[in-house]
Amino acid sequence: MGFVPVTQGEIKLQGRPIRSIGRRALARRVAYLPQESYCPDYMTLGELVELAGYARYSLIGGPSAHDREMFRDALETVGLADMAHRPVNALSGGQKQRAWIAMVLAQDAEIVLMDEPVNHLDVKYQYSILELVRELTVERGKTVVTVLHDLNLTTAFADDVVMLREGNVEASGAVEGAVTPQNVARVFDLETDIFARDGRLICLPQMSRERTVLA
Amino acid sequence: MIARGALTAAAVLLLAVSFFANLSVGTITIPWTDIVSAFFRFDPDNYGHYVVFYQRLPRALIAIYVGATMAIGGVVLQDLTRNPLASPSTLGINAGATVFVIAGVFLFDLSVPAQGMAALAGGVAGFLGCLAVARMADQSRDPRGLALILSGALVSMLLVSIANAFLLSDPTRRTDFLGWVTGNINHVYADRLALFWWIGVIAFATLLLLARPLALITLGPEKAASAGVNVSMVSRLALTAVMLAAASAVAICGPVGFVGLVVPHIVRPLAGGRIGLALPAGGLVGGIICLLADLAARMAFAPYVLHTGLLMDLIGGLIFALIVKRYYLTPGAGVRS
Repeated sequence: MGFVPVTQGEIKLQGRPIRSIGRRALARRVAYLPQESYCPDYMTLGELVELAGYARYSLIGGPSAHDREMFRDALETVGLADMAHRPVNALSGGQKQRAWIAMVLAQDAEIVLMDEPVNHLDVKYQYSILELVRELTVERGKTVVTVLHDLNLTTAFADDVVMLREGNVEASGAVEGAVTPQNVARVFDLETDIFARDGRLICLPQMSRERTVLA
Repeated sequence: MIARGALTAAAVLLLAVSFFANLSVGTITIPWTDIVSAFFRFDPDNYGHYVVFYQRLPRALIAIYVGATMAIGGVVLQDLTRNPLASPSTLGINAGATVFVIAGVFLFDLSVPAQGMAALAGGVAGFLGCLAVARMADQSRDPRGLALILSGALVSMLLVSIANAFLLSDPTRRTDFLGWVTGNINHVYADRLALFWWIGVIAFATLLLLARPLALITLGPEKAASAGVNVSMVSRLALTAVMLAAASAVAICGPVGFVGLVVPHIVRPLAGGRIGLALPAGGLVGGIICLLADLAARMAFAPYVLHTGLLMDLIGGLIFALIVKRYYLTPGAGVRS
């Protein structure tokens, strides 16, 4: 998105170097959800979502009727339609993450980048948030690229994976082909059993020694 | 959170009331009918008309200008630095402008318009000095942004002591600036207001245009950039507008603190995340506070008139302590870090 200097090579968006795409034009095509999002205490959910449309507004204009429709739709999609007037910081952890996803949706970009979107969330929220993200790809045709550290979340929700170790690509491709015990061992230094259950891969790390079970 | 219209209307109404009170109340009380006729049928032989038009009106306009520019500066600075103690007076802008004006006058006999330019340069220099000192601190170990505020205090102390050294060096010129240097809302500075008012107006218009990108920047530079904001350009433009507006107010009547610090805390809970509303509302509330403070400064020890800046500093110290207590000393308090 332009805030990390490119050290090597070139980043292209559908064949076009992103350096040649204007900031606002890029924002209309690619949205980004940072790992940690900060919201001032006084900002409400409705105000947050409205800011997402910035790249579409003129210098003195604000959101159009169509934009407002989209903001309502974004809040409905994440299940927070009746909370637009609530301060973002008054929401629960899971709701807050949904709020940020609503903002990404309201930006109306076809590509969404997410940096560990379910970090710090309870397991229940991890699954519900990623289910929501998955729906965006299926029902709205969005391309979502996300950083995840949990292998089971990856195999449950991703179509394709790129496995990185110290910045180098160790494996990539469809989940079934790339997430193998060999690749996991190379990337994470971890022995795993990987097996299919109900149509998805489960990664079970091997313990280095038998766990003592207390009677 | 209240409706945009309601907040602005209430602030405009309060400003109008304080404005009229400021024109009417004083050593002699002037009835509102005389105030109105002073505007529309000015009679130079009418003492009441004279007081309204040549003494109280310039004073009230200066109070509104200073209050509004400082308050708007505080709103923007507290948002950009995410620091509840940021304001033109706590980040070295006011002290920078003050010392440049004093040094310019004492060393080069600057004319009033040149003093204005010196104040603008000084405001920028003071703020940059504060940033430079803050940068020396390890910011990663300072999530509450105290380094910035301490740097502001340090740079301000240094600059004020330089200004004081100049003042002490020349007893004859000292008397001309002794009032100004403490922040003196006074009709004698009407010519300065006439010279510099446009700086604040342009700064305000610029900040209003930047309201949305500024609100996005409060979400973090990466989030703002990904939404299409040119973060460095918007931040620089906004900071420049704030520095020049606050410095122009210093050029008019000297450094008036407190308003810029406190107004954002009054306006924020009412305006929510809408900077486009917080700016005009902040400007209006800043104007109201300065008008009332000026009235209090004139009336508290009548017939003696206090310098409004002194009164503001007194109240400002108290408010500063309250903010520190709320944001820094209360366990679990939400410091915007």
